[in-house]
Amino acid sequence: MKIFKYFLGALLFVSAGAFAQEDIKPERKPGHTNQNKFKQLYDEFATPNMFRTGSGAPGPAYYQQQADYKMDIEIDDVNAKLYGDETITYTNNSPDELTYLWVQLDQNMRAKDSKTPLISSSGIGPATSASRATGTYLKERFDGGFNIEHVKDVNGKDLPHSINRTMMRIELPKPMKTGDKFSFKIKWWYNINDHVKDGGRSGYEYFEENDNRSYVIAQFYPRMAVYNDVEGWQNSQFWGRDEFALPFGNFDVNITVPADHILDGTGYLTNREEVFTKEMMKRYNQAKKSYDKPVMIVTEDEARKNEKTKSTKKKTWKLSAQMVRDFGFATSRKYIYDMMAVKIGDKDVMAVSMYSKEGNPLWEQWSTKAVASTLKSYSRMTFDYPYHKAISVHAQRQGMEYPMICWNYGRPDENGKYSDRTKYGMISVIIHEVGHNFFPMIVNSDERQWTWMDEGLNTFVQYVAEQDFGEWYPTALSPGHDKYPSRRGPAKNIVRYMGGDQDFIAPIMTKGLNTYQFGSNAYSKPATGLNILRETVMGRDLFDYSFREYARRWMFKHPTPEDFFRTMEDASAVDLDWFWRGWFYTTDYTDIGIKEVKKFAVTNNPNENGRKLAERYNMDPNALVYFIGEGDDGYDEALKSGKSMDDLPTVKEYIMDNFTPEEQKNMKKSPKYFYQVTFDKPGGLVMPLIVGYEYADGSKEKITYPAQIWRFNDKEVSRAIATDKEIVAITVDPDLETADIDTSNNSWPRETKESDFDKFKNKIKD
Amino acid sequence: MKSIFLIFILSVGLTLTSSNTKHEYYVSVTNIEHAKEQESVQIISQVFIDDFERLIRERYDETITLSEDDEPEIVDEYMKRYLEDKLKISINGRAYEFNFIGKEYKEDITYCYLEIENIKDIKSIRVVNRILFDILPEQQNIVRLKLNDRNKSFLLIPENDECMLNFN
Repeated sequence: MKIFKYFLGALLFVSAGAFAQEDIKPERKPGHTNQNKFKQLYDEFATPNMFRTGSGAPGPAYYQQQADYKMDIEIDDVNAKLYGDETITYTNNSPDELTYLWVQLDQNMRAKDSKTPLISSSGIGPATSASRATGTYLKERFDGGFNIEHVKDVNGKDLPHSINRTMMRIELPKPMKTGDKFSFKIKWWYNINDHVKDGGRSGYEYFEENDNRSYVIAQFYPRMAVYNDVEGWQNSQFWGRDEFALPFGNFDVNITVPADHILDGTGYLTNREEVFTKEMMKRYNQAKKSYDKPVMIVTEDEARKNEKTKSTKKKTWKLSAQMVRDFGFATSRKYIYDMMAVKIGDKDVMAVSMYSKEGNPLWEQWSTKAVASTLKSYSRMTFDYPYHKAISVHAQRQGMEYPMICWNYGRPDENGKYSDRTKYGMISVIIHEVGHNFFPMIVNSDERQWTWMDEGLNTFVQYVAEQDFGEWYPTALSPGHDKYPSRRGPAKNIVRYMGGDQDFIAPIMTKGLNTYQFGSNAYSKPATGLNILRETVMGRDLFDYSFREYARRWMFKHPTPEDFFRTMEDASAVDLDWFWRGWFYTTDYTDIGIKEVKKFAVTNNPNENGRKLAERYNMDPNALVYFIGEGDDGYDEALKSGKSMDDLPTVKEYIMDNFTPEEQKNMKKSPKYFYQVTFDKPGGLVMPLIVGYEYADGSKEKITYPAQIWRFNDKEVSRAIATDKEIVAITVDPDLETADIDTSNNSWPRETKESDFDKFKNKIKD
Repeated sequence: MKSIFLIFILSVGLTLTSSNTKHEYYVSVTNIEHAKEQESVQIISQVFIDDFERLIRERYDETITLSEDDEPEIVDEYMKRYLEDKLKISINGRAYEFNFIGKEYKEDITYCYLEIENIKDIKSIRVVNRILFDILPEQQNIVRLKLNDRNKSFLLIPENDECMLNFN
């Protein structure tokens, strides 16, 4: 009986609205499939198998191919051409028999017959400048494609091959079985593009003063495509935007450049004593012991002097790298060169920068320190950086990553002056590109297929690393900044994108080439999603453990999106299918609001409604507790000021009869004010319902109802709040944690908000 | 020499350098709203600061750096001049000039506030938006109209730089 009474009380509370509808006959609706936002992702995810398990870890049959390269490269600085000769040794670790190999010819995107220019729409405007008309209709396209001189086996016999744009298929003399190795040779050359004028992630920047070029070189060699269990051959064409999918391997690369160049790249420099001067060697040995600041290996004065003359002699730099997926290098006679050591675990890693005088004074101040700081932050968030160095190279308008080396923008004006934007832009891009060593250079996801897997994860860790940098190097911050002003990460920063036009938004789970607003789609939105998981949904401990587990599991391997999604759940015991479904697979947005707040008072005197209810359930009306809503029948002045629940005779009686004095002492403080708060959700995304309550005595409370509160009704939910203090204000998502795109419905009492336009206009009037 | 230089960036380059923390795409957003009780058409144009700075340097003055704290007053003048040149609005068949109320920088975006006064009713509107088309052929300009309780967006590109909306 007691139980029934309680149940009735609860019934009164939550279903006041249901009675009004009871005599409406429901129309019979057709059936439906599971459209619930919490539906498991079984339809979207690939079925787990022996290669990739349901836990998100590599399975017992997981394999990956290996591609080892031996290369001789020469740069002709006079004509800006690159000549190369390579031997690739390919190992088939797959259980499959291979009859051909696919090699990537990325530079063919710049070939004269490239189809890249043909996939952007174009039209004719009413008028244009003569120069642009000339450029569009008269100027011959720069020919930057690969010229393949030969493809031979190790005995010098030509191998049949055929080129399909940016992919080359090589016929194997006999099928490769599991465990087989096959070596072949390719000789090629190409015209190096001016990356400032012609664009591209690789190329040279030309300096009129002293007629010099600085080269940042990548995608410069025919590279093996990935063969794996999910794609077979990943030979999706390179159109210019989606980046790369590459197998791991070992590289031995000899690079011949003018003798007065300074060069660095992926791998160990194995002939350092041949290419460094004695003085450089001495400084290098000092740098290896300098943990707090960089040591100049080539000073600005030396670089200034060096760039004024040109050597006609050549020099060969020898680099050797193990377990890398790619190779890049930078070379110029203009380079200033500095290094410092950074402790990662029990190992010393060298943080290195190469920049021309145009980058100073910014670069000498912050580049190498940003590299060192990034390695520490990322190692904490993932695994200890396994390579022996990380280089940041200054290049105009670049921001591009390769194993152990990356190119970054950020250039002061000619007088050495720079704005805050330039400074923070430079530090951020260095942190971002050095961070790419972890994603995708080591956690080697397929960039061609899923841009977000490296960009999104990397942009997320970048945010953490930027905040660390601001803390560790406060002097890098401008006056008025007490922390690093990160652009991406905080939930509120993604509102502009997610609240934008649905016609120009694609789900994150879209191939990069086909997304609108690439930066927001593949960088900011996934990074923000992870930040929301970390700060709001999972908490830092569970998130960080799981994120590290993902990085650790897939270090030096090839993960897919499911491997990430599954690992995050597997390691945390947090069901996140709803989050992946909404945030990654749809373009839904968060919009949660307060629809109605109804205040109730508690009493022993029933109103008409209460009497009827008691009668219907055949209850003694004196044994019940009644809740009467503000404005409802029976809500009088006496009720308005509220009555404490334990003052009601019915309740007192019940407590005395059913609880020991000890139990009575431990009871919660008796509530006096009762509210039914109805939240509505115009947005399609489910999110935790975060509510801030503010009381008349000025105290505040924040309650987070898990996202699952939306599982039965995706549009509307109610909560009953009982409190001894009057509530004066309620706010949904008070700290802007969920990327709610419309906060005008987030508060009660409703605040009338000035439009942005009026706000600005009034501001400048003052 | 400079203009050729530009074309080149434009035709091949910009969309291809992507793996960086720059904004990677070239979009401006112009919101146009009718505040009926104020009889005013309120316009907010959002342009990336980087792009706007490059534009002003190339078009007006190479020495200018856009910055909240330390920026010559002439910047507002240049922005006004440029927007008047590139953003044309006709209402009910008549071309209107707007007042440049001012601008502010938030994160990496310039917000320009423009206003056309004394507009009681809008029966039709035509917007030509060529912002940044002169230096960035990859540029796309989104125009969002919020008029007479209707929301309508257009994506404008150099070859299709105008949009119309009729309420009859």
